[in-house]
Amino acid sequence: MSVPEVAPAHDVISDGAATPIEFTFRGKRFRIHAVLSRWCEAGGWWNRVSDGIYRPDDGARALWTVEAAPIGALNTFQLERDEITGSWIVKQV
Amino acid sequence: MSFIHLRTSSAFSLKYGTTQPRDLVERAAQFESPALALTDRDGLSGAIRFASACLEFGIAPIIGINLAIDLLADPNLKSTPAKDLPRLTILAHGDGGWRALVRLLSGLNMNATDRTPILTLDFLQRFSQYSTQLHLLHGPESPVSQALMLHRSDIALEIFNKTRSLFGDHAIDCVSHLVAGSGPFSTGHAARSLIFARDHDIDAVITNAVRMRDAADGPVADILDCARQLVPLHQRHLERRNAEGYLKSSDQMVSLAAEIARAAGERTPRDLLNTTRQWAERALLSPQRDLGLGGIHLPEAHIVGADSASAMRTLLRTRCESGINWRYNDSATINKARARLDDELATVATLGYEPYFLTVADITDMARDRNIRVAARGSGAGSLICHLLGISGVDPMQHGLLMERFCSPLRRALPDIDIDVESARRLEIYDLVFKRYGDTDWKSPQALSRCATVSMVDTYRARNAIRDVGAALGLPAMEIDLIAKSMPHIRARNIEATLKSLPELRSLNLSAPLTAMAISLAQRLDGLPRHLAMHPCAVVLSDAGLLDRAPVQFNASGYPMVEFDKDGVEEIGLLKLDILGVRMQSTIAHAVHEIKRVSDIDLDIDAVPLDDEATYELIQSTRTLGIFQVESPGQRELVGKLAPKTFSDLIIDISLFRPGPVKSDMIRPFLNARHGWTSAQIIHPDLYEILAQTEGVVVFHEQVISIISVMTGISLAAADEKRRALGSKEGQQEVCDWFFPAATERGYELTTITEIWDVLRAFASFGFCKAHAAAFALPTYQSAYLKTHYPAAFIAGVLTHDPGMYPKRLMIDEARQLGVGLAPLDINLSGSQYTVEKSETGSDSVRIALTSVSGISDSEVNSIIAGRPYLDLADFYRRSGASHPIIETLIMTGAFDRVHALSDGTINHRDLLLHLSDLTRSPVATISGSQMVFGFAPPDIAASGLPAMGAAEKVRNEVERLGMDISHHMLEFYAPFLNAIGAVKSSDLLSLRSQSQVLVAGIKVAMQTPPVRSGRRVIFLTLDDGYGCTDSTFFSDAQEGFASTLYSSSILLVRGTTRRTGDRGISINANGAWDLRAAYEKWSRQLIQQAVQK
Repeated sequence: MSVPEVAPAHDVISDGAATPIEFTFRGKRFRIHAVLSRWCEAGGWWNRVSDGIYRPDDGARALWTVEAAPIGALNTFQLERDEITGSWIVKQV
Repeated sequence: MSFIHLRTSSAFSLKYGTTQPRDLVERAAQFESPALALTDRDGLSGAIRFASACLEFGIAPIIGINLAIDLLADPNLKSTPAKDLPRLTILAHGDGGWRALVRLLSGLNMNATDRTPILTLDFLQRFSQYSTQLHLLHGPESPVSQALMLHRSDIALEIFNKTRSLFGDHAIDCVSHLVAGSGPFSTGHAARSLIFARDHDIDAVITNAVRMRDAADGPVADILDCARQLVPLHQRHLERRNAEGYLKSSDQMVSLAAEIARAAGERTPRDLLNTTRQWAERALLSPQRDLGLGGIHLPEAHIVGADSASAMRTLLRTRCESGINWRYNDSATINKARARLDDELATVATLGYEPYFLTVADITDMARDRNIRVAARGSGAGSLICHLLGISGVDPMQHGLLMERFCSPLRRALPDIDIDVESARRLEIYDLVFKRYGDTDWKSPQALSRCATVSMVDTYRARNAIRDVGAALGLPAMEIDLIAKSMPHIRARNIEATLKSLPELRSLNLSAPLTAMAISLAQRLDGLPRHLAMHPCAVVLSDAGLLDRAPVQFNASGYPMVEFDKDGVEEIGLLKLDILGVRMQSTIAHAVHEIKRVSDIDLDIDAVPLDDEATYELIQSTRTLGIFQVESPGQRELVGKLAPKTFSDLIIDISLFRPGPVKSDMIRPFLNARHGWTSAQIIHPDLYEILAQTEGVVVFHEQVISIISVMTGISLAAADEKRRALGSKEGQQEVCDWFFPAATERGYELTTITEIWDVLRAFASFGFCKAHAAAFALPTYQSAYLKTHYPAAFIAGVLTHDPGMYPKRLMIDEARQLGVGLAPLDINLSGSQYTVEKSETGSDSVRIALTSVSGISDSEVNSIIAGRPYLDLADFYRRSGASHPIIETLIMTGAFDRVHALSDGTINHRDLLLHLSDLTRSPVATISGSQMVFGFAPPDIAASGLPAMGAAEKVRNEVERLGMDISHHMLEFYAPFLNAIGAVKSSDLLSLRSQSQVLVAGIKVAMQTPPVRSGRRVIFLTLDDGYGCTDSTFFSDAQEGFASTLYSSSILLVRGTTRRTGDRGISINANGAWDLRAAYEKWSRQLIQQAVQK
């Protein structure tokens, strides 16, 4: 089993409620099509006391599992079936 | 449509919620919620504050409670600890639900085994008359939810059905804190709960199970989790997984509802939100109608011995009129009293307070019947009714005390009567009150009581905040202890500022990351409640509906206690009576008892005339140690300057000795006029009568009231309202705007009005209630009278009941100087209390009590006394029941000197100790019966030839074992050294001029660091040197380098300059302090070296 790659996602666009919409991953721009689940975690603030400055919920995180696809990977097609022969024609629009 | 939160825990979910109820209400109001629910864990103690805050912010309160439930409760099985039990939320509905909730909680508390309320099915069945009037929420911590977590909706339904008939209505509470996974508080679980509700046709609501106001409060919640469970910070001890349990806005809640609904397969959250709204609307309470805010509930007529309201009025009048004949005997005064009584009774009748006075009188009568001393304190002494009913001993007419200051038709709040009783017998009075007003089966659903004690919220302050945070963060115990102990008793939010200002803490490294974090977090705990304690003296008295309005629980001492604090019970109109245990009252009782026992004199201390010259001379001499209210260093200085000659002077003295008058220098103009240095300034002849008593200075509230009344022609009651308004800035402006035209209309000159207004404004804020001072002055006078005329009995009382601020050894010293003999401990003569003995020559001495022995138990004292008389040590060893170390102490402090005739010198204390160890090895102790069996005679005492104890050793033993030096004053042994360095005796200080450089020495008897507005600490130190006391002041610049010595040493040498404070007063401006023992040792070493060199 391969280890999933973790990378900082650049240029994340999110909506007003801070739900992510688009992000860049491995140089490719992705668009989110569905949020499968989302949750929040606290970050164990007491483990980070090195500078003695108390930061409330330092390290708190919000997390999403999403279905996303690279932008451009998504195309619009027109499909046509001949109802007599049952054959298909595909054309990009 | 805005969202209404149905589940909110405030800080009154003790050590769980992070936010004060008022702050939650304020936030909900900002969100424009029409209502907010408070559903604290395990109690309703925050309910009244919450409801008043709702009233203030104009939103409707909903009140419920979150309780643990044990569905499997089986008396034969070991029960699950409360913290692991599932929990349910119960809401009071708007139609009588509050009473049911209160009753249910009280019943649960009263039947709880270890003071933790836990619901069981059995309990709910017994109390179903209340539970069926309540609404139940099954949230993510409920048993139903636990079954759903295991995907067993069949079991969930089974569990749900168990409580179905026991409550009025049910809903499934869908909560998502957006926790990961699919367990409780996750969106998945909330959705599953919603589906369960839909499948079985149960209502479903959405709440946020709120425990904090802001997400940023998370760490505070974590610290509270640790403090509650006494564990260090670790993820597994914390309840929250993230910071979502805060009071979210309507928009946030609506989108959360949408998320849950969607996950449950519903197209819109409309149904979920609508049901939530309906549940909220059914549960809206009225703060006034339901909770009874602003109502008044006094005991019913038949309880105070009348059968109707009018009969009660007649009863009060009859009792007062017979009081007139008891208190007064000349006809002029009687006529005056009659007129005033009519006025007061009219006021009482308007307010309907007859039961109030009759109830308090009933309680003071019960106490007097048991021969327990009672005195009123506070403004109640201003009422003639209180005086005539025997509640208060001070005559309000003679001293110009006003009823209006105490009780007025313009104020709806119940007036406050406080009664002082003998501290040693306070609980006897509690028992009497409970027997009379609260004799009931507290465990029954129909419990009926008219009284209960009141709770007091113990909150986080600097010390306990540091301790709890430090423990949670895992700070070293030593370090926590050091910081916590060094904290004065300040609010937690001031920790940082205080740490910066204390020189003895500079050595601590407070910038270490963990320490700094602990301090910053400790400040955030400021004011959060920790637990409910019993208010030390308050009892509420009400009618038969008390238990319908206020939830009760048993407190640690076993008395039923209302969960509301004193402000809470006041807001719902319960009569609160403070029964204060006052040690001085016990002291007086003990002295009077000893006088009767030894000299057979029946002294009615309450009837002694208040003009005894010798008594005032004693007070003027400033030898006031042990006397009520005037023994502190500051008061000794003040009585020295003021030289009280009459009872009125005592009242003035007590009123002046407070921070306000001292700071604003009210005292100086008063004293100047008093001593004739300047003539009294009386602004206008109309005010002469009001101000003459205090040389033109406004000292009392009563004077402010009278001035306003005279100048404007309004009634005293209305004038008191104006006086109260003067307390605030806005109020002051309002009164000002009214006062000038009102006084002008009465014909006063503008200059006069301006002058008087300046005085009123300046002094109104810290004037003192004269009735209160007068009530205090009475025990002051009485104790001074006893000290003057019966010093031995008085000292015996003070030593037995320890009423004052000074250690016992100082009173021993005082006895010596009063010429009262001190009789040492004696196994056959010492009792459990200090007693007076007459010697053959007729002089009195005080016999040291057995209780003075440190470490002796009550049962040892009792068994020693029961076995008296003892023939000798062997007999005592065998029969007294005293432990070995106690017997040793008794030997070393001379308790066997008499039975063994140690004074003739054949044997000494060391021989007795050897004898004791022989006894422990012999079988004597195991022989029963009083006759010694032949052949088992105790070992003999033999003179060992060891040297006897010297005087110094004897004193050291006394101090170590009894905490006081009886045979000699400790400082006597330092006399050569003190003479050599030229230290001044306290009794010689007065002969010095101001600004002399002096050295004084003594034993620390008091050290105070009163709060000072500038924040710069001042230390007041009182030393006793066997000739009296010296008072030194250390200002902040003098503390550098000496503060730790002051805190750690008990015998001190102080250097400073004298400062005259008056005729009889002198104090020392200190600039150095050393440990006397260390200095002495250094000096004697040098002496020896010098001797050797020679």
